[in-house]
Amino acid sequence: MEVSFAKEIEKLKLGEGEVFHGEGILAVTKALLQSGVSYIGGYQGAPVSHLLDVMVQAAPQLDDLGIHVESCTNEASAAAMLGASIMYPVRGAVTWKSIVGTNVAADALSNLASPGVMGGALIVLGEDYGEGASVIQERSHAYAMKSTLWLMDPRPNLPSIVNCVERAFELSEASNTPVMMELRIRACHVQGSFEAKDNVKPAISMKQLTGAAPHNYEQLAHPPVTFGHERKKSGERMDAARAYITEHGLNEVFEGSQGEVGLIVQGGLYNALIRALGELGLADASGNCDLPIMALNVVYPLVPDEILSFTKGKRAVLVLEEGQPEYIENEIGTILRRAGSKVTLAGKDVLPMAGEYTSEVIGTGVGTFLRQHLPKIGNQLGDESYASEIEALREEAKALLVEPVPPRPPGFCTGCPERPFFAALKLTQQEIGPVHYSADIGCHAFATFAPFNFGNSILGYGMSLASNASVASFQQQRPIAVMGDGGFWHNGLLSGVTSRLLNGGDGILVIMKNGYTSATGTQEVISSPDTALKLEAAEKSATHGETTIEDALTGVGVKWLRTVHTYKVAEMRDTLREAFKTPFNGLKVIVAEGECQLERQRRIKPIRAKALKAGERVQRTRFGVDEDTCTGDHSCIRLSGCPTLTIKTATDPLKTDPVAHVNNGCVGCGLCGEVSHAATLCPSFWRADIVTNPGLWDRARAALRGMLTGVRA
Amino acid sequence: MTDQTPFRLLLAALGGEGGGVLMNWIVEAARGAGYQVQATSVPGVAQRTGSTSYYIEIAPKDAPQAVLSLVPMPGRVDAVVCSELVEAARVMAAGFVSPKLTTLISSTARFYSTAEKIAMGDGRYNEDNVRKAAQAMARDSYLFDLGALATENGTFVSATMYGALCGSGVLPWDLSHARSVLGDARSEAGFDAAVAEIVALKDGAGDAEPEPAPVTAPQPDLAELPEGLRTVIGHGIDRLRDYQDAAYADTFLERAKRLIQAADLSDHRAVHALTEACRRLALWMAYEDVARVADLKTRPERFERIRDEVQLQPGQVLTVTEYLKPRAEEIADILPAPLGRRIMARVARGKGLPLLGRGIYVRSNGVAGYWMLRAMAGLKRLRRRSYRFALEQQAIEDWLGVMQAALARSPDFAMGLAELPRVLKGYSDTLQRGKFAYGRIMDNIVRPAIAAGREAEEARRLRDAIGAALADDSHEKLDAVLAGDSPAPGIPNLKRVENA
Repeated sequence: MEVSFAKEIEKLKLGEGEVFHGEGILAVTKALLQSGVSYIGGYQGAPVSHLLDVMVQAAPQLDDLGIHVESCTNEASAAAMLGASIMYPVRGAVTWKSIVGTNVAADALSNLASPGVMGGALIVLGEDYGEGASVIQERSHAYAMKSTLWLMDPRPNLPSIVNCVERAFELSEASNTPVMMELRIRACHVQGSFEAKDNVKPAISMKQLTGAAPHNYEQLAHPPVTFGHERKKSGERMDAARAYITEHGLNEVFEGSQGEVGLIVQGGLYNALIRALGELGLADASGNCDLPIMALNVVYPLVPDEILSFTKGKRAVLVLEEGQPEYIENEIGTILRRAGSKVTLAGKDVLPMAGEYTSEVIGTGVGTFLRQHLPKIGNQLGDESYASEIEALREEAKALLVEPVPPRPPGFCTGCPERPFFAALKLTQQEIGPVHYSADIGCHAFATFAPFNFGNSILGYGMSLASNASVASFQQQRPIAVMGDGGFWHNGLLSGVTSRLLNGGDGILVIMKNGYTSATGTQEVISSPDTALKLEAAEKSATHGETTIEDALTGVGVKWLRTVHTYKVAEMRDTLREAFKTPFNGLKVIVAEGECQLERQRRIKPIRAKALKAGERVQRTRFGVDEDTCTGDHSCIRLSGCPTLTIKTATDPLKTDPVAHVNNGCVGCGLCGEVSHAATLCPSFWRADIVTNPGLWDRARAALRGMLTGVRA
Repeated sequence: MTDQTPFRLLLAALGGEGGGVLMNWIVEAARGAGYQVQATSVPGVAQRTGSTSYYIEIAPKDAPQAVLSLVPMPGRVDAVVCSELVEAARVMAAGFVSPKLTTLISSTARFYSTAEKIAMGDGRYNEDNVRKAAQAMARDSYLFDLGALATENGTFVSATMYGALCGSGVLPWDLSHARSVLGDARSEAGFDAAVAEIVALKDGAGDAEPEPAPVTAPQPDLAELPEGLRTVIGHGIDRLRDYQDAAYADTFLERAKRLIQAADLSDHRAVHALTEACRRLALWMAYEDVARVADLKTRPERFERIRDEVQLQPGQVLTVTEYLKPRAEEIADILPAPLGRRIMARVARGKGLPLLGRGIYVRSNGVAGYWMLRAMAGLKRLRRRSYRFALEQQAIEDWLGVMQAALARSPDFAMGLAELPRVLKGYSDTLQRGKFAYGRIMDNIVRPAIAAGREAEEARRLRDAIGAALADDSHEKLDAVLAGDSPAPGIPNLKRVENA
């Protein structure tokens, strides 16, 4: 990764009493160091990538702490890493994006939870739920319940988050149970401050070695001790956890004057709740509220005594719990019922079952609740007038704007080497007709949007080939599966390739070899080009000499294997045609190669700047469109989708439709030219090569050209 | 309670525009001025040109330990700053801009979305509606081109967005403090320029958009015609004289006159149809063949335009390369008709011509490339006797015939028919698809309507079909219209044809 985290790393070095200003996920990282962790691992994914990215770079600089940092190849491997805390008194933390990462990690998590841990084990979950989420919408909560792991959901401010991280380790150790902490997207990205403490040097670490633990069968997730573990999870470990939670006041109660009712809220929703109550006139900006609130910073397990003590003397309580199903509400219901409580329980009956709980949604729910259970206040609330005010605003905007606002989903970057592959596939489909396309997770999933609109299914990360195993059996044409190198190493090689080979199945797999897991921030994979390759490549694609993927495929027995540079659009189209038409029966793999443009540009920029400064000859390339010959049909755009290939009003007074236009963001990747050749589009594209600090030869040739053509250039 | 309400600020940008940088400047300035501040974002995977938003809350100094929200609440945002005009529309549509409260600052720059770009015709979102909505929905709205201002000052739009925000006076700290967090001269220049511009707007200087340059087309001696029509005919004559010669321009004028005679000039719909028909006629007559393309690509003004576009600096050396792929068909087009027919017969048998049909790179400002293109441009002299010329003139005459009939009988139908040649776009396969669509609309709607005298009844369907043909290149929507289905809503081209 070419990005530097030097500034972030400085913040990780802050000591006692200094003030940390920064992002939520970096605050978590700092809190891990303050907790004396011995190891940190994880798998990248928004919104928690930053934790690991920064630590990978920071580790050498924080050498004296002796922390082992590992970029795991998937979440299962990250979860298994926590095994170190089963038999050694070492603290460790891993992180990933949830729900998807937790799904992948599930096997290891079960086997970790059963024997339990000796050292504190923390899993930082990027809870990708609601606006901005990029995965299927499910809750991590279910995993906490089924594996008996504790789940924290801190109030989204930095002091609270940092405190929860520190407490999480103590809770884990007090109850011999791994702890998960869920942070929503906005909480991970929140900018705030907290007072730092010194980093703690772990007692056992890379700097402080220890001997092998004795064999203790009790620590194995293996029968017969698993039966005892199962009893302990809900027995002594749960009791110890509840005792710790109560003793250290992890959950917070904010008193209010209207004690007949109360609100129980997941910690992470607390700020949105206060804002909603403020709108209703029930809370002030500092959070002083008329209604008593219980903020659950630990959402699993609940402490029955705390719940009963909060609900005591109340007529009704409302549980604010985001997502489905209503696990917390159900558990509170059980607690109340078992205790014979008469308190009325409200929750998903007045709030939506699914979707993000924004202040707007919460305000409406709280309003309904109060009208039912505290009418003296409920009947005077402004929530309904707020709702109608907003409804009117939206209606007015809709009427004034006339047309619906065009969608603007993310897309391939300018110069992305994956885009040309999809242009080639589109051209191939124009020849051979539609084929079943199994999509995957990664940048290439942007091909599901216009102008490509590819994809019949997405079944998970690295699962595209596996997902069409049976589709292939009843399709007239071979289905195609596309995955990235990230997905290939995460899961695709085993779940897809070896499974297909074992079963002797037919099929086509395309692997986008761009060298990194680009969608999550260009982290390295086993097949990332090394420094030597990058140095050699300089401005060119550095993935060319890297053959780990091809070697692995050959090694497991792939017989039909082609590597094609994606920018050779015509060659890619011909290779695809061959894959679809060849009589060869078996797995056909096309490695679509081209280095991630983000990484390549980050490498090129300093090289160029240095050369320019030194007065050396530097050539840059960009493309353009002749508007005189462009007829405004936009075929090129439908085959490219490049952000810099856009449209503009024609200067020709006779033309009414906008013409194609390349703006200054062009990095000269050459796709538009290649596509116009491959698809026989039109002669409007030109390429300009601009030489700065031209040499004698350049200048002489330019002079000769000018003389013999009469064109100034 | 309300006096302690934090200042709530929503930033809307596109991935990669530096929205995060802008957010950090604001946070740093707020902290520096002693305010409690919180900011967050949902960048997610949207770092690549998708819509992104950043949300900031700044607590008033008398509300210590304020609980700040991470999510903006519709109707409760004090200021919105957008890097792009349609993003302002998105924010308004979501209900975040309130006339009671919100200061809306938006760049008027457009960064067209894929949905707008891929239409065969004009799929652009209506900017006037956004301006009107901003005027009506915001307490104060300031719309100007923050992107261009950034480019002029050698910086990024984040700097001009920050300048505009600070210059609007909504933030509780002064300009010099705001500026102090920038730290580089270019950002400061962009900041200053945006401050100056928004201060001028506040003082009522209004939108200083330049008037479009007056069109100076030669005015033929057709004084009795309406202004718009006369301009189009003037441009047409000019174009065709440039394309071929004065005689060809005369042919155009003669054809235009035939149309004029068929129309009732007192009916504004007929005048509109006539104007569009003359425009299409001129463009059609100046169809792009290899001679035309080679000619346009070797003009001095074209190379000047490229120098401008690539921002060539003194001392730099420029080479220009063309991506051409002449096939046997394009060569047949420009050759004398009998020869062209023989080549096309070969093509029909699946054979081509040697050396053709492959992509070639021609350095158009190189000696060999330039003179090769000039030689191709010289083929213009063969054009009148060429294979394609004959075909095009025949098709034009055919269209003129039905156009005359339509103008005489139904101005509504004529308005549609005038637009029909618009589907004849592009080159090679794209052009073939366009011709196919043209033929189907001609055969399925136009000719039956004229034969049966049902022009007025079929006008709507004709316009729907043209809109559908321009909506996608698979002709799915056209198939639907021809099969009698009502057109899918949201085909941008269709609306434009109606509005025209």
